[in-house]
Amino acid sequence: MATEKTDVVIVGAGAAGGILAAELGRAGMKVIGLERGPRLATKDFAPQDELRFFQRQDLRPNVKRQPVTWRPNTKSRATPIPSQSYGNQAGGGTVHYGAVSWRFHEDDFKVRSHTIARYGASAIPEDSSVIDWPVSYTELEPYYDRIEYEIGVSGKAGNLQGRKIDGGNVFEAPRQREFPLPPLQVDQVGVTFDAATKKLGYHPFSTPRAILSQPYKGRPACSYCGFCQGFGCHIGAKSSTLVTNLPDADATNNFKLITNAMVYHINTDNSGRATGVSYYGPDGSADNTIEAEIVIVAPFVYDSVRLLLLSKTDKFPNGLANSSSHLGRHLMSHIGARVFAAFDDRHINVYMGPSAQKHTIDDFNGDNFDHSKLGFIRGSQISAGPAGLEGGPIASAMNMPPPPGVPNWGEGYRDFFAKYYTRYLAMTGQTEELPYPNQIIDLDPDIRDAWGLPAPRMTYDWRRPNELKRIEFVNEKMLEIGRAMGATHVWRAPSSPGTPGSHHQGGTRMGSNPKESVVNKFGQTWDIPNLFVIGSSTFPTSSGFNPTLTIQALAYMSADAIIKQYRKSPGPLIRA
Amino acid sequence: MIELDEARRAFLLRAALAAVAGAGIGTVPESLAQAQPTQHQHSAQPAVHPHPSSARGFGAFFNDDDAATVAALTERLMPGAPGKPGALDAGVLNYIDLALVGAYFDMQDFYRRGLNSLEAYCQKTHKESFVKLGDARQNEVIAALANGKATEFDWPRPQAFFNTLRTHTVEGMFADPIHGGNKDFAGWRLVDFPGAHPVFSQADMLSKNAFAGDQYIGLQSRAPRRRA
Repeated sequence: MATEKTDVVIVGAGAAGGILAAELGRAGMKVIGLERGPRLATKDFAPQDELRFFQRQDLRPNVKRQPVTWRPNTKSRATPIPSQSYGNQAGGGTVHYGAVSWRFHEDDFKVRSHTIARYGASAIPEDSSVIDWPVSYTELEPYYDRIEYEIGVSGKAGNLQGRKIDGGNVFEAPRQREFPLPPLQVDQVGVTFDAATKKLGYHPFSTPRAILSQPYKGRPACSYCGFCQGFGCHIGAKSSTLVTNLPDADATNNFKLITNAMVYHINTDNSGRATGVSYYGPDGSADNTIEAEIVIVAPFVYDSVRLLLLSKTDKFPNGLANSSSHLGRHLMSHIGARVFAAFDDRHINVYMGPSAQKHTIDDFNGDNFDHSKLGFIRGSQISAGPAGLEGGPIASAMNMPPPPGVPNWGEGYRDFFAKYYTRYLAMTGQTEELPYPNQIIDLDPDIRDAWGLPAPRMTYDWRRPNELKRIEFVNEKMLEIGRAMGATHVWRAPSSPGTPGSHHQGGTRMGSNPKESVVNKFGQTWDIPNLFVIGSSTFPTSSGFNPTLTIQALAYMSADAIIKQYRKSPGPLIRA
Repeated sequence: MIELDEARRAFLLRAALAAVAGAGIGTVPESLAQAQPTQHQHSAQPAVHPHPSSARGFGAFFNDDDAATVAALTERLMPGAPGKPGALDAGVLNYIDLALVGAYFDMQDFYRRGLNSLEAYCQKTHKESFVKLGDARQNEVIAALANGKATEFDWPRPQAFFNTLRTHTVEGMFADPIHGGNKDFAGWRLVDFPGAHPVFSQADMLSKNAFAGDQYIGLQSRAPRRRA
């Protein structure tokens, strides 16, 4: 039996785990990280192979070994989802992500009170479970600044200490200083999108991305090869956790990463304290244990919830940290509305440059527009890039349904795709979803993973009146933009049949009230003070923005609280 | 550089179809036989190669009949034409054949059963194997797969079989040639994708014209770039 003792054990070495490892290690705490997958290096990403990395998802969980199931409602039987969008190695999802790095709006942290103040309580759908975050933008701003400068984010400020700046996102929350790096180079997608949206009176800008526009901290600038979303960066210009926080953690000499280690149980004692974790080793051995003073759970949403449920004991019969019965609830994801534009008068060459969400308008996100006559609340980030967020021909053929009247196979499809592959762009409405208490993750009773553990099961259907109206609104806006571009063909993708999109959030939500939340704003569980959950599972509401930068900012805030408060006085960081 | 013309495609299709035991004129789809009256004389000769799989674009997994069917199916999904490389030109059959003993080894029975069901459906509906139907009939059969109306399927369901065939045809057309398809960059020529260029310049990215680079860059091979 392999048992090790340490100060802190972190489950999952992704965006959150990497930061906590570096920060706690720097503060002199001994940290062991347990990572389900391998630790790869920049040189491993040399093969720029769309089939291997994008299509077959080499950097993501194998859906047969690690199934996650879904059913639209409790009356149906769950089946495994065909692909998963999170990571499966040290660095987590940041290895293959598009590196889109947003700060949330100020009102994203107070959806409930903000909505009631502007539109009245009746504007919030009765069956939703919208609450305010227990943390404000102002409180998180120093940590947003910290992560942007720590790893290198490229962009242009649109709101510098309240001063609005053209060319940046004029809807962004006020930032104290400019981005550390200027925006990435513009391409024909950006030129086309900017011209059309400006003509319509909107405010386009280069999407802030954790991709280096100039050399930074010893790493080179992006070469615009285009093998980006879905791929590890072959030159290390993408600011993934793998090339930023994890090397920093190594440099503390207080961090050890154990790879191919699948944690299956959080151990607790009779006093209700977490004592450590047990994991399966690379050889399948089950008798491996880490004993720790602090246990930090930082994998993806599914596994945070599953691990807490799997770790139930007589003292915690409903799973750990679940005295509220809110564990696994309020699951959200981003619902993708998509519109395509194909041109006869120009090439777009969508395969060039960083691929995900290249240019954006924020005019219809959050509460940046008046909802009073629209019949729904909250909005969507609208961006342009390749279909499937990756520009190779496989991704385009798989993710772009042809326009109405054109078949998706045969001579008609061949001629369409041969003509327009280099002459199209896609727009994505990355749409906020409200939380609903009966959108849940629990344990699948039938399907197990390669370690014999019950698969995480989602019961989820986004097709609620508020979300359906919003999707229609966003699609109409994108069709309008496509027409303003002067495209020959403008068409929309059919909506998904209720399936979850990407960027899952919720499941261990944070709150001010222990009766309706799982953790406090520091990710500390209300029930077990030495057990923390850090990641997008703690988000009470989702925003229309990609979650990673906010996960990272929260990780810095939690690390600060652990170092400055918890270490001196172990116990609840917030008295309920 | 290969010229992707009718004669070339007819040759490729014949090569795949010659796999069928006792291969002869009857194995060539009606439409192709009609379109290429001077070509099918060659295919009347039985295969005599001591290694019957060699140079036919498969040999790792499919039996001769199934190879001929998959070749014909994928060519209907992504048909070749003069100046427009199709599935046969790209070696999509070879891609799928290799994948079924590699990354997709757990889909062997999916293909076996799907192809058996397809044969049963074609026999029931047209009293012929899929490969012997003309283009129009083959298109009708594929449409019946895609819309789920084809009978004789249990598992896989006809739509699932269609979707997988389409996905694997796309992969075989456009994946790097290292995986056994996209032969001589046929798929990339069709759509004008230049491959894994390590750098695109600001001028490349701002251009409204076709990319000016002069090479297709694959993982193990390069070729002068000339669009099909």
